[in-house]
Amino acid sequence: MSLLSRRHFLRSASALIALPALESFGFRRFASAASPAVPAPKRFIFLGFGFGVTNETWFPDPKTTGEKYPLPPGLEPLARHQKDFTVVQGCRHRFSDNPHGGSTFWLTGANPFSEPGQSFHNTISADQIAAAQLGKETRFTSVQLCSSEPASTGHGAGLSLAWDDHGKPIPGFETPLQAFHKMFSPETAPLAQRKAMLLQERSILDTVLEDVNDISRGLNKTDIDKVSEYLQSLRDIETRLEKEEKWLTVEKPKSPVSAPGNGLAGREEIKVMYDLLVAALQTDITRVVTYRQPISSLLTSIGVKVAAHDMSHYSPGERMAASQTRDVAQSELLAGLLDKLKATTSPDGTTLFDHTTLVFGSNLRTGHYLDNCPTILAGGGAGIKLGQHVVLPKDTPLCNVWLTLLKGSGISVQSIGDSTGTLTALS
Amino acid sequence: MRGSHLPLAALFWSAFSSFSSGATAAPQAAVNTKYKAFFKDYCVSCHDEEKHKGSVRLDNLSFEINSLEAAERWQKVLNSMNSGEMPPEDKKQPDKVLKTDFLEHLSQEMVVARKTIGDANGKITLRRLNRREYKNTLRDLLGVDISVADLPPDGSPGTFDTVGSSLFMSSSQFESYRHLGRNAVNAAFELFATPVANRKHHIEPEEAVNKTVEKEMARQGSIRKRVAMWTREVDTAAKRPENANVVAEIRAKTKTEPHQLHAAWEKIAGAPAPTEFGFVDAQDAFGHEGQWKTFIPPIVDYLSLPKVRSGAYLSSGMSSTTAAACSVPNEWPPGDYLMRIRLAYVGPLSLVPSRTDFKAMPAPEPAENRRFLDVIYADSEIVLSTHQVTGTMEAPQELVVPVSIKKPGYRFFRLRETNPEVSRTDVDKNPAIWIDWVEFEGPLNTTRPTPVAIQAIQPLLTKASSTDVDVRKTLETFAVQAFRGRVPSPAYLDKLLALYQTRREAGEKPEIAIRTPLSLVLSSPHFLYLSEPVAEKQRRPLTDLELATRLSYFLWSAPPDAQLLSLAQQGQLQQPAILKSEVERLLASEKARELVTGFTRQWLGIDRLDFFMFNPKRFPAFSSAVKEAAREEVFSTVALLLKNNRSLTNLLTSSEVVVNGLLANYYKMDGVAGDEFRPVTLPAKSPRGGLLGMAAILAMGSNGEHTSPVERGAWVMRKMLFTPPPPAPPNVPQLTRLEGQLLTTRERLSAHQEDPQCASCHRKIDPIGFGLENFDAVGQWRTQDGYEKEGVGKKTWEIEPAGAFHNGPAFANYLELRSLIAAKPENFARGFTEALIEYGLGRPCGFSDQDLVQGIVQAARKRDFAMQEFIQALVASQAFHTK
Repeated sequence: MSLLSRRHFLRSASALIALPALESFGFRRFASAASPAVPAPKRFIFLGFGFGVTNETWFPDPKTTGEKYPLPPGLEPLARHQKDFTVVQGCRHRFSDNPHGGSTFWLTGANPFSEPGQSFHNTISADQIAAAQLGKETRFTSVQLCSSEPASTGHGAGLSLAWDDHGKPIPGFETPLQAFHKMFSPETAPLAQRKAMLLQERSILDTVLEDVNDISRGLNKTDIDKVSEYLQSLRDIETRLEKEEKWLTVEKPKSPVSAPGNGLAGREEIKVMYDLLVAALQTDITRVVTYRQPISSLLTSIGVKVAAHDMSHYSPGERMAASQTRDVAQSELLAGLLDKLKATTSPDGTTLFDHTTLVFGSNLRTGHYLDNCPTILAGGGAGIKLGQHVVLPKDTPLCNVWLTLLKGSGISVQSIGDSTGTLTALS
Repeated sequence: MRGSHLPLAALFWSAFSSFSSGATAAPQAAVNTKYKAFFKDYCVSCHDEEKHKGSVRLDNLSFEINSLEAAERWQKVLNSMNSGEMPPEDKKQPDKVLKTDFLEHLSQEMVVARKTIGDANGKITLRRLNRREYKNTLRDLLGVDISVADLPPDGSPGTFDTVGSSLFMSSSQFESYRHLGRNAVNAAFELFATPVANRKHHIEPEEAVNKTVEKEMARQGSIRKRVAMWTREVDTAAKRPENANVVAEIRAKTKTEPHQLHAAWEKIAGAPAPTEFGFVDAQDAFGHEGQWKTFIPPIVDYLSLPKVRSGAYLSSGMSSTTAAACSVPNEWPPGDYLMRIRLAYVGPLSLVPSRTDFKAMPAPEPAENRRFLDVIYADSEIVLSTHQVTGTMEAPQELVVPVSIKKPGYRFFRLRETNPEVSRTDVDKNPAIWIDWVEFEGPLNTTRPTPVAIQAIQPLLTKASSTDVDVRKTLETFAVQAFRGRVPSPAYLDKLLALYQTRREAGEKPEIAIRTPLSLVLSSPHFLYLSEPVAEKQRRPLTDLELATRLSYFLWSAPPDAQLLSLAQQGQLQQPAILKSEVERLLASEKARELVTGFTRQWLGIDRLDFFMFNPKRFPAFSSAVKEAAREEVFSTVALLLKNNRSLTNLLTSSEVVVNGLLANYYKMDGVAGDEFRPVTLPAKSPRGGLLGMAAILAMGSNGEHTSPVERGAWVMRKMLFTPPPPAPPNVPQLTRLEGQLLTTRERLSAHQEDPQCASCHRKIDPIGFGLENFDAVGQWRTQDGYEKEGVGKKTWEIEPAGAFHNGPAFANYLELRSLIAAKPENFARGFTEALIEYGLGRPCGFSDQDLVQGIVQAARKRDFAMQEFIQALVASQAFHTK
């Protein structure tokens, strides 16, 4: 990052950031946030990191539940926010058996073996359940952030943390620069040209649809399912075109942060992605964001020489120290993000933090442990009680947490993954 | 065309035995009833109907694991025992050995259960082209090579990239196909629309180098002259009598300074200012004098080297000659080119014998390590290829390096001496390689036969005007080629034509407008998917055309060529003799390289070589160039065995290795020079020969710093013995008690044998890994290992490879271990066959395939496991002919 833009980031981090007056952009038709009569929209942030945490120093002592529990060293950087987040212990996914499975099922809780004759299966992720309802009125139904690290670095199969309602992976923006351009860079082509483009896009879909019809003739169910994936991608594009058409005359909002530099990696990359994520919510360009955080480059950027996978199999010594350094770095970054969410105010005086639900966690505790998934919840979006250390009964479905958060935010949903019900312990 | 050969195929079909009869029943996963008492004592006693502790009942749990539900319940039993949670600490604990055996048995049965329940029963899912196939298909169709880095990686971990059920599609991927399809069409038009003549670009690298060097000499010479003039005038002024006092004063103050008077020129009356001679101040002038001493002698020495006027030396001591730069001219279209390099190995030549700092340097690199040249992409520093320099000044050699220029992509190259990642100080000074000239020639694409799809378009471009009928005809011919012989639907063609018309109406010229529908064909289902339609719950034999496609994607990862298509269209491909000779023909083609790399990489898990950074300080000899050569050794070995139809068992143990000069040098073998990989006979008792002696395989069993006996042992079990250990279980308590102590690897891993949860697998894995400890983390032979830890100390020990297989024979050393593994060729062949089935049929190999596997292994065994026999047997099998 250049000196100038770094300074810009620092400045914006320390000052109160005002939500832009959306009314002036002609958002009124779409953005309910603009109208004071309508309650501020609910928002979701899911932050997933691979390779878990340090068991001994990240979790609070299970004996000290409730408020004002002593913060363990791994969460120490979050001290200034202690009353604003809740640590949840005791959750796992019932069907998680593969310690090398990464984040594939973190937000879905699916049973990978549930389809006979197939060795892999996934279902819709919590963020997409939320996005189906919260994303109707925003330019992006949801935003997925990723890193350019290969999925093998702790996150397993998938293109981001998000899985669609057919259990198929949804891709994300891989670099801060790419995310910035897609979300905030103004369209350069004139309106008439963009209209013509949309029209041509439709005829293109129509054309390939003819070949879809042709290939679909006389197929069995398994093959039809495969063709359906193709068809589904056409439908997704169609949905996107519809949305683009609707937003054709609405300019993209001006980004509250400047364009990030190229080639950011590790801690700096995560920090900038956090800034962009706040900017996306702040400008109401989307209401649901997931971020599959990098780990290898984070370790490199904080001077850790141990490889990520080796670190996760730590034992006292260099590897454990690496794991702890990583915990602290991640907590520092999260604390910075919470600062920003709290500092971003709306005209009605509330902050972004008040309407957002933030989840920070991993499907893996440490090493090969898939139980007691590290889970931190923050924000006022779902009406859960903050500032708590909650120890749930051992092996409570993690999906019950997702269900509680979704329902608490007014999302109509019956169940997700292996959920069995909402958790009263959180409210 | 479609379905036209069904009658013949149906005839052939009637000769097939039915699917169900004759097939061995798939194994059922079941917990051995001998554990009934164990299970009752330690599990059911609390989890029965009456107590059902924690709401878990196990008394009604069937020992047959034949349903998803039973599998889940048994998985839970396994998980809670592995995690040490059950039986609870305060309850009666089972005997350690018994518990270990039970855990081992249950984990294995769970693997069986997962495989049984997940068995696709031979069903092949409609599959799309994977990345490799997509790229190759565009290459064969359009005659151009494009980069497909934009596409997401294929498949799930643990399966091959040909398995249809794991090949997904998403809207962003569809967009990528459109984008890449357009790139490919554009590239093809650039090459073929206005045929480009073959051309040459000749570069004499010394022209640029010598010019820079001479310019520097001239500059330094002028500076030196001006310093001399200025100091002389100061000295003259200082000698004047009126300056006597001042000069004495200056001399007294700064006794030892050689430039004492010149530095104080301002105090001396009549002395000229350094600015008058072009210097900023006195310091500036002296600084330049220092530079002269550092830079000029090497330049003088360089220019005195032999043939310096007709070629350039690679020497990092001369910044301008570190690497010779050369580029494909910007106006040349993307395509395949040849880069020719005429060069010689000359050194190392001594450039600066008189320099004092040179003497303090460490011992020079052995001369044989200085013979290697990297061709790199100048913009990215990515190494394109590494070559051994065998030419001499008397008889220089001519290297030919194929380079592919893509758009967008690199066209600027540099040549440099192969650098290990740590600096070799003598390389900095003394050049060893001389480059006479570099030449680019191409594009080669237009010298090859013009692809049929391109021929279809060409009339459209040359004609003054084209009717809609012409355009539609063009689109149809193109689409039939793209769809591998399948005729597209009329409605589809109509819409393609409409798209063309829209673009024409938007003002585009015909040769531009046509690109929109053409690139769309390359994102359409019939191009992207290998379609073999079959109705629900039915099986049918493939048509000839489908068989041709399945065969060419198996052996080439590319579409059928004209001969294969024509045999299919004549209905001859199903004739066993013809099919057999086609397999031979396809395997003999260069395109079969895709089978070697694509299959071998996934079968043996070669990607693991890229999981870790190899510590360059610990392993300076394992440079990136050596690592790539080590990877290539695996491929070249498989390629050679396949080409010459030699036994698969050569991968278990062999009296020869397939190496090039670089790798032979790494293996400390004499008498191998040059870049091409060739078989070399090993001395008796050499640890090389077979997969286990390959640096790449051994390095994969390390983390870049240390060896991992567990990783190596598990790999041997998975790939060579084909008795794969169960996947790593979740929630097994970690071993920490030995950390911080100075222990040998064996001592540290001994903890694995103590707890039943660990021992159940590690008692089988670890001994094999220990037997390979004579190879270090980068596959070099060693007899000692050591461990050093800050604050704890240092320990060195002799490697003790001796051990025994669990419940099996003992071995005293690596060679005996290798012999024991090689004594089980059947197991290895089974593993290879199952992998081949999965890769070739594009579906997991399940228990329902046991007859197929058995049949192939038996057929191959009759010919001493000759490589092509496996492939011939699979291609001849009913499964290969069936959808």
